[in-house]
Amino acid sequence: MTCTVRIASPLRSYTAGRATLEASGGTLAEVLDWLEARCPGIRFRMIDEQDRIRPHMRLFVNSSEAQQLTTAVADGDTVHVICALSGG
Amino acid sequence: MSLSASERERYRRHLALSEVGAAGQEKLKAARVLIVGAGGLGSPAALYLAAAGCGTLGLLDGDRIDITNLQRQVLFDTAGIGRLKADAGRERLQALNPELRIIAHPVELRPDNVRELFAQYDLVLDGTDRLSARYLINDACVLARRPLVSAAIHRFEGHLMTYVPEQGPCYRCLFPQAIDGVVANCAEAGVLGVLPGVLGTLQATEAIKLITGVGEPLVGRLLTYDALDMRFSEFRVTRRRDCAVCGDAPTITEPGAMSRNTEGAEPIRRLSVTALHERLERGERPLLVDVREDVEFAAGHLDGALHIPLGQLPQRLAEIDPASEPVFICRSGGRSMAACQMALRANIRSPANLEGGMMAWAASIDPAMKVV
Repeated sequence: MTCTVRIASPLRSYTAGRATLEASGGTLAEVLDWLEARCPGIRFRMIDEQDRIRPHMRLFVNSSEAQQLTTAVADGDTVHVICALSGG
Repeated sequence: MSLSASERERYRRHLALSEVGAAGQEKLKAARVLIVGAGGLGSPAALYLAAAGCGTLGLLDGDRIDITNLQRQVLFDTAGIGRLKADAGRERLQALNPELRIIAHPVELRPDNVRELFAQYDLVLDGTDRLSARYLINDACVLARRPLVSAAIHRFEGHLMTYVPEQGPCYRCLFPQAIDGVVANCAEAGVLGVLPGVLGTLQATEAIKLITGVGEPLVGRLLTYDALDMRFSEFRVTRRRDCAVCGDAPTITEPGAMSRNTEGAEPIRRLSVTALHERLERGERPLLVDVREDVEFAAGHLDGALHIPLGQLPQRLAEIDPASEPVFICRSGGRSMAACQMALRANIRSPANLEGGMMAWAASIDPAMKVV
């Protein structure tokens, strides 16, 4: 399965500034593993030690929120990584 | 609240809109709106709400105008550098529209003044630059049943969401918890000057819609804006039944309760690169813990730094002496703040966060330091 991952602005230091990546994986967990293999350290910014999505992060598959890492990701889906922003 | 002849003339373009008309303009005249944070977001929001005829407009900000503000804070000008933002902003807004009651609040919003301040207004706009303030404002609005239009920005990206009591999720439903430092602020990360112009103007739009009762407010929807891609996206957000403030069994029953608890539990020291450099020059040897990834550490690091990538830190905290008062280091200060939090939870005493990280070190202390 190939999907697009849109990376929140504060995490783009891990993706060499890229806003989107073409990733693979049939579940959110697999997509995040794919990301981690190419952008070391990025998964830990989103997911805590207990495999929970951090409370200042939200993950969406297309426009639906994904609360579990087991959420299915289909071919052509877009995974949106959203992070709380502090600037005003 | 009827309109005078001069007001009818001033707002003629609004009166021509059937959706606003005289009735909507009278609602605007009667409205009391508080803008918290007279910065990049608050500037355009305040200007447009004043121009639109929002009858009572409060401007809350305890800071003074700095030259670095003027790249995006269009409420101010160069002659105002050094003045209180609330006072300078009040004068600018009053000059724009003398028909209004503009109130300057040159104070910092705190748990002990938020109730009294919010009681004077019907609607709040959040344009602050600290996450702790965002939660204080959200919690106070939920508890006082005030609508809130919240926006935030970072580099080229912005977020917007509207909260209306009993009608949808609050900011804490969207992000239950976040700590300043985990997310870089504009001073550290930079921000495109025009970006808050877009988001602040959208905040004013939401405020006008709420006041006049027209259109569909951004309740239960997070709007994101990416200026580089020129892309707006929308995400459905639902109220969390376990939300600490608006959920079925709230644990936050007074504004700032959580932040006070958190502050008490977080004696994280902030260490500037200059202060660290002076300590090292004096011959002090604090424990330096670099939490960046292998490739970043290999490119360049401070002499003697212990290298523990953030992802490995939970398993390797035992390598840090609990009494060593370590200094955590990363690229720009975000990951090292997260490391400080972990260290505190592991009872490591008085951890310090190197503000601005190795980027700041390279910029201010050692230009030869390679940072990737």
